[in-house]
Amino acid sequence: MYLQHISLKNFRNYLRLELDLPQGVTVVQGRNAQGKTNLLEAIAYLATGKSLRALTERELVHWLAFEQEPIPYAEVAGDVLRDGIVTRLRIVLTQQGGRGSGSGLRKVVMINGVRQRAIDLLGILPIVLFLPEDISLVSGPPSARRKYLNLLLCQIDREYCSHLDAYTKVVTRRNAQLRSFQGKRPDPTLLAFWNDALVEHGTYIIHRRQEIIARLDELVREQHRILTAGHGRLRVEYRPSLTLIPPSTQVPKAQLALALAKEPVAYTPPPILPPHKIRKRFQETLNTLQREEIEAGATLVGPHRDEMAFLLDGRDVRTFGSRGQQRTVALAVKLAEVQLIEEALGTSPLLLLDDVMSELDEERRARVLHVVRQVPQAILTTTDWDVFDADFLAHAYCLQVNEGILTEKTPDTP
Amino acid sequence: MSDPIERTIEAFSRLPGIGPKTAARLTYFLLRAPNDVALDLADALKALKEEIHYCRRCFNVAQGELCSICADPGRDQHTICVVEEPLDIVAIERTGAYRGLYHVLHGAINPLANVGPEDLRINELVERVQKEEVREVILATNPNMEGEATAMYIARLLEPLGVRITRLAHGLPIGGDLEYADQQTLAQALEGRRPIS
Repeated sequence: MYLQHISLKNFRNYLRLELDLPQGVTVVQGRNAQGKTNLLEAIAYLATGKSLRALTERELVHWLAFEQEPIPYAEVAGDVLRDGIVTRLRIVLTQQGGRGSGSGLRKVVMINGVRQRAIDLLGILPIVLFLPEDISLVSGPPSARRKYLNLLLCQIDREYCSHLDAYTKVVTRRNAQLRSFQGKRPDPTLLAFWNDALVEHGTYIIHRRQEIIARLDELVREQHRILTAGHGRLRVEYRPSLTLIPPSTQVPKAQLALALAKEPVAYTPPPILPPHKIRKRFQETLNTLQREEIEAGATLVGPHRDEMAFLLDGRDVRTFGSRGQQRTVALAVKLAEVQLIEEALGTSPLLLLDDVMSELDEERRARVLHVVRQVPQAILTTTDWDVFDADFLAHAYCLQVNEGILTEKTPDTP
Repeated sequence: MSDPIERTIEAFSRLPGIGPKTAARLTYFLLRAPNDVALDLADALKALKEEIHYCRRCFNVAQGELCSICADPGRDQHTICVVEEPLDIVAIERTGAYRGLYHVLHGAINPLANVGPEDLRINELVERVQKEEVREVILATNPNMEGEATAMYIARLLEPLGVRITRLAHGLPIGGDLEYADQQTLAQALEGRRPIS
């Protein structure tokens, strides 16, 4: 699978761009604020239907479009080639009601010229995007890790995406329903409906997160081992807000003491609970929490409160890790993600690395470039050609970006 | 507030989908328009509220005690189709495929808008099922989260009454192409498949 062509109209600082992309490595060099990240963002937008940086889609439209186009709009389109078949993806944002009106933007998603829902884009152009701020995946709040898990799972499982969408809707409605019960006797039938809906969608999400984190744990540990030449043992742990294993059946004391020892002899990851057991636990927990939830007017347990921890020799990297350790873990997670998507979709993702090299030492750069060479297609941005050696650049398609205009690098340009 | 212009603008802006700007535009349009435009509107509104009320049986719009459907002895008296709004009846009637009665809930359970079962005509429905000779209740609420919640709620209430409860099918539009159907619709259509007889 690779992205053959990308076309932008009025997207961020690109007024018009038509770019053929080769297989293998593409390097885009430019000074700050010239459009390096915007190009990667456009590709990620096409892949997921969502902007990973913008708060509102209005930000995605070039400001000139609001002044000069008869109907302000922005467009991203791309051709994805897989197994000899080209799929054409296209997202168009149009100002509703024409120029100057204050109303919102309309988003139309087309796949091969036919209107589809944004969710139908998922999985056609799988990507792994690594931005410098992705260190927040390790150092940031739990919501950053949930967002990460959701995006990863949505790319490999559309059913997860529709369950997640429904779950989010259920939570807001259920919270309102809980508030409506305050000071009254709750209607058992209504409560049952919202509980069932929460449990149905929540169970799927928890189950998939269990599976994916169990696999991430193995893959990230291996990537981390390579990146650090075996310094420290990394574990990725799922910390669901719903207690999956009741305290009475948890690890006995003797084993617990073993786990606290410096080098755990044999770490056994927690068992993956089958959906019917999750469902049962979830229902039971909701029943015991009923009064508390009505009082709080909020859903107190479920995937919307899940957490994921990165443990380096048993210590949480988020709180105890150095900045450098956090960055290495984030990098290991991203490299593991490439493998995970390969396993799940049977095709390697397009790897998008935004100015990542400059923050890494020599060894880690070499490791990243090793992975970059292995995937069928990777796009890297940089402010400085010097972070790459001449041999690497000789085998890459080199572009320069200046104020939203891309040009091929010629040998004589510095 | 005694200024008629202000009053009219205020009255218009209480309507759904009409903001203060549109309300002002409508008001000044009526001010300049020939007398009969404004007066016809006033008469129509007055008649709407005075002559039209809800059918006491099914809560559809009606000019008499009963709506035209409830008053029609030719309709199948053993089937009730439950809808959210009177407009839904119009849509179903246009199909010509349904010969039973209706029951209009006037909304759906929506905790975000603070609409609970007590705000809907649900108790009246239960009473009808108990008193009339109903064999089947078709739940034709919208296929969204609010509609599903309402359907489920009613189904649980009616279950003990021993009546057949059905829900409208989800599936593919007629004249559509399979390859263009979205995945959720297609999955539900597969689940709800039935033998060709």
